Amino acid sequence: MFAHGFGCDQAMWTQVAREFEADYRIVLFDYVGHGQSDLTAYDADRYSTLDGYAEDVTEIGRTLGLSNAIYVGHSVSAMIGALATLKAPGMFSDLVMVGPSPRYIDDDGYRGGFSRAQIDELLEFLADNHLGWSAAMAPAIMGNADRPDLSARLENSFCNTDPDIARDFARVTFLSDNRDDLAAVNVRTLVLQCSSDIIAPVEVGQYVHASLPNSDYRLLRATGHCPNLSAPDEVTAAIRDFV
Amino acid sequence: MEDLYETAPCGYVSLSPHGTIVKANRTLSDWLGWPPETLVGKAVHDILGFGGRIAFETHLAPLLRLQGHVDEIALDLLRADGDKIPAIANAAEKRDAAGKHRFTRLTLFKAVDRRTYERSLLEARGKAETESKVQAEAVLVRDQFMAVLGHDLRSPLAAIAAGTRLLARREQLSEQGRSILSEMTKSAERAAALIDDVLDLARGSLGGGFVIERDADEPLTPVLEQVVAELRAITPDRTIESRIDIDEPVCCNRGRLGQLASNLLSNAISHGAPTQPIRFEAVTREDRFVLTVVNAGDPIPADVRDRLFQPFFRGHARPSQQGLGLGLFIASEIAKAHEGDLDVSSTINETRFTFTMPRASSVGT
Repeated sequence: MFAHGFGCDQAMWTQVAREFEADYRIVLFDYVGHGQSDLTAYDADRYSTLDGYAEDVTEIGRTLGLSNAIYVGHSVSAMIGALATLKAPGMFSDLVMVGPSPRYIDDDGYRGGFSRAQIDELLEFLADNHLGWSAAMAPAIMGNADRPDLSARLENSFCNTDPDIARDFARVTFLSDNRDDLAAVNVRTLVLQCSSDIIAPVEVGQYVHASLPNSDYRLLRATGHCPNLSAPDEVTAAIRDFV
Repeated sequence: MEDLYETAPCGYVSLSPHGTIVKANRTLSDWLGWPPETLVGKAVHDILGFGGRIAFETHLAPLLRLQGHVDEIALDLLRADGDKIPAIANAAEKRDAAGKHRFTRLTLFKAVDRRTYERSLLEARGKAETESKVQAEAVLVRDQFMAVLGHDLRSPLAAIAAGTRLLARREQLSEQGRSILSEMTKSAERAAALIDDVLDLARGSLGGGFVIERDADEPLTPVLEQVVAELRAITPDRTIESRIDIDEPVCCNRGRLGQLASNLLSNAISHGAPTQPIRFEAVTREDRFVLTVVNAGDPIPADVRDRLFQPFFRGHARPSQQGLGLGLFIASEIAKAHEGDLDVSSTINETRFTFTMPRASSVGT
């Protein structure tokens, strides 16, 4: 199962997932509010913590009857996957975390790389950049839930997110703190860390590796936060080596 | 060409696939306050505000990989001195014949005024959303309060009404005592009617409008006749001319139509010229039921006419006739619930309320 991170949708995994099609059954999905998901299913309460998203992952797993599956999560989905393994023991036997961070904001004795003010700047950016989208397009899409193809008319036809949900998701993601959950994650885990990633710096990846009871750590040559897009071959090879 | 690139009225910057600036034009370096040679080699993050930096990694970079270009992104550029320049950016990936990512081109436009304008729009929208939320909550609290209060007032009022009935039947009262008791009974009835109105309003808005049941099982005529008789009894000094000519049945809620007729008549009594008769007419015309109440008196000003059917609107009435301002609102809600219309016209000659509705329900019975 490949889970996308904050800012995009399952299209992020297309290139990597393709490489595993011959040997595995592939599960790709969009979180509610992203990609082609049903926006009406969004519930601000349920998704006010990463737990709600982890519930969705386990729901998908239960519906498909998954057991001992491999979960590959990018960015915030790395932690969502960790929570899912705690909620549904046996569903996943292996976790691959791509660019994970258990907490983005600095804390006493911990450096996540972000300050609260910087998170607010991000929320402001999101507000600025969905102005036209939310005003003109959202009603058209919302009113045509039975025609998800309408969203293809947007200028950016990939990584569509509902602006309000994107803001919620950003807040939940960047204010989350899952450091204490890591010690309880007892499935085999691979931490894939990018060389230069301002979202999840190297020391955060090392922190995750050190906090997990049973993990491998691999530093990729790839830079940026989305190696699944910028260096799909390297990510594919790393996952293959691990599983 | 060189000059066009360097001094174009927009900023140009080229990035390596790793996000390092490999080339930038003079316009951009002037905006940012970095000499051109110092810009090259910096990370694109170094010239972006923090929000833009995260967004570049989480949104722009993936989009560029997936679709090759991203247009009209609003972001803040970071100057050498730490100040920010609001800008709009278009970006495109340059790929070689094999599809390999060579570099990324960004074109930047200063957009100080536009971004300020957009932000003020966003702020205004946020404020309006907050206000309407607060308002809706206040209305909900008001309606819940009225529903509870109205409900709780009913019991003591019922006790008072029962007490006055007992006194009238069992006790020997003086002439003055009987007169006082009669006034008390009328007051209690009026108070009960006011409470019914309030409960109607609260129930209507809490439940999202009036929901009524309609049927054509019984005739409507006796109900309306009784309403006219009651109002004649309450106001013996007024003349009510009545004409009821209904081709039965009418598919309706008879209790509610009686209430509508009663509210319209009470309104005419309160606001009409006291010396002139009130005309009440209830007839069927083909497939419609039409009820009109006409009174003489000063015409209703246009601005008042617009608000007549709003809850709690009170025109000028004699103090003794002052109600809560719910009668016409409830009448119009009853009209809507019958798929009907309630209209008013007012001239020097007369003020006329006209209610029309289909005789048969379109939704079946």
